[in-house]
Amino acid sequence: MSDISKLPPAEKPQVRLGFLRLTDSAPLVMAEELGFYAKYGLDVLLQREVSWANVRDKLVTGDLDAAQLLAPLPLATSLGVGGMRAELITGLALSLNGNAITLGQPLAAEIKARGGDAQKSAASTAKAFGQYIGEGKREITLATAHSFSCHTLLLRRWLRAGGIDPERDLHIIVLPPEQMVDSLARGIIDGFCVGEPWNSIAVQYGIGAVQATGYQIWNNGVEKVLGVTESWHQHHPGTHLRLRLALMEACSWLADHNNREHTATILSDKRYLDLPEDKLRPSLCGQFCFAKGETAAELPHFHVFGRFQAGFPWRSDGELLLREIGDLLGRTFAKEDTRSLVQRCFRTDLYREAARHLALPCPNQDYKPPGEHSRVWEIEPGIELGPDAMLAR
Amino acid sequence: MDVSRPTKIVPRSPSSSRVLRVILVDDDLPRATAVESRLAEVGFDVLSVIPTASGLLYQMAQREPDVVIIALDSPDRDVLESLSIASAHNPRPVVMFSESGDHNFITDAIRAGVTAYQAEDISPARVRAAIDIAVAQFSAFDALREELDTTRRQLEERKTVERAKLLLMQTHDVGEEEAFTTLRKLAMDKHRTLGETAADVIAILGSTDSKGKQP
Repeated sequence: MSDISKLPPAEKPQVRLGFLRLTDSAPLVMAEELGFYAKYGLDVLLQREVSWANVRDKLVTGDLDAAQLLAPLPLATSLGVGGMRAELITGLALSLNGNAITLGQPLAAEIKARGGDAQKSAASTAKAFGQYIGEGKREITLATAHSFSCHTLLLRRWLRAGGIDPERDLHIIVLPPEQMVDSLARGIIDGFCVGEPWNSIAVQYGIGAVQATGYQIWNNGVEKVLGVTESWHQHHPGTHLRLRLALMEACSWLADHNNREHTATILSDKRYLDLPEDKLRPSLCGQFCFAKGETAAELPHFHVFGRFQAGFPWRSDGELLLREIGDLLGRTFAKEDTRSLVQRCFRTDLYREAARHLALPCPNQDYKPPGEHSRVWEIEPGIELGPDAMLAR
Repeated sequence: MDVSRPTKIVPRSPSSSRVLRVILVDDDLPRATAVESRLAEVGFDVLSVIPTASGLLYQMAQREPDVVIIALDSPDRDVLESLSIASAHNPRPVVMFSESGDHNFITDAIRAGVTAYQAEDISPARVRAAIDIAVAQFSAFDALREELDTTRRQLEERKTVERAKLLLMQTHDVGEEEAFTTLRKLAMDKHRTLGETAADVIAILGSTDSKGKQP
């Protein structure tokens, strides 16, 4: 337990914290609802944003102090690809997993007819999709939520597992998460990879069926992080530390599945996601439906908060994400450049600082070996990590 | 608000004879119309004005604009930024205007609620005039909206006071002046505004009134 009186003071007790309308904004919301921000002397104003571009720009202009970010964004923004260039850093990952690939009903039927069964394996649906595309029946357009996101990474990996070339065999476009279901229903796109609750909404309306969960493609892949600009951190190290502590406590609370149903209720509020609870419950409570009318599958790791060292910003994950960004841009980054950029953006030192205050065990190393564990494993004595296998390309 | 100031840069610069073609993305139609007409006035070619979620990607592919001016509160910004990656489907990459590097100018634009993107092959200097116009119009609309809000609030308050006065006159069988004096005294005693007190009076008297009418 941390002694709050020993913490450095908050240089700025009022914090404007940005989030998007996604289920995995739960830690940011629950830290407020459970009084963790107040416990650390912070007065947090949660500000709902409509795009990642807005979040980034407001961090840069100072209209936001900190925000939930897609894990690759600190790297992409520091490179200046896409939009404004800025030095963004993270000292805390907020969640693992949380995404899925959904295809519209007609395509889902084609995949089923070719032996694809998502409940069995993501490889089976990928292969069936590859077979369908190989038949050259029609042009396919899929959407992801952002160019430099785990959604893009997951989608491309899944496609390649089915022998599909994501550059040549189909179109991949970007759409805001909130437009995904509607665009699928109207036939503008044939499928998407997005975070929750948008997959469950498509399933519940019978518009689409899930072909792979993010977990199936990358077991316990890092998803959202807490982002600030490097200069904001330099000016507000005390506030930043307190913010991380409050969020880590919320993440630990969310690790207990008994708290998830209550979380769905809170998140559904108008101030937060403004969506019915039954849309948020499947992924949060780990009772996930792949298709309308099917029995829910037990997927307790659909969202991982506060366990398997979920908060630790592994630099090996950062390097993997940067390689994926390079793959997307058709660029290769030199090994030293990769290492130094990731070291700058993924601040394991800041995580350790916070973990010390909470007396939480935390890894001594910044890099972990590439994913090959299909079950829970120990990287160091007492440091338990989740499975980290990836779908073979 | 300095909206009508003369333009500094003529969009048709000597380096290129072609007029810059603009797409405007804004859900606020009156504001978008104002920006559009100012842009047209100084010689930009406004290709289309579209709200959010109405096929921006299709518009981009079909019309190939030089500049896109987009409201900050549009979720389509991530869509636009995805076009920064050159590919076979996207031969003319789009970059954010901020590449030009003038940090204060960009902050001002963002605070006014405007961002802009341009084709990579266009000089930012030519684009700036378009953004200047958008920023000025967005700010002017903000000021106007604030003014309208205040007027609307005042009007609402006046209506509430009138209703409370009428209720007081009916229930206590007093004249208009006495009803108003009562209301004012209540407000002063409770350190509340006249409008708030009027609302309280309506809540109390109005509800007993409706209950009385129930069978």
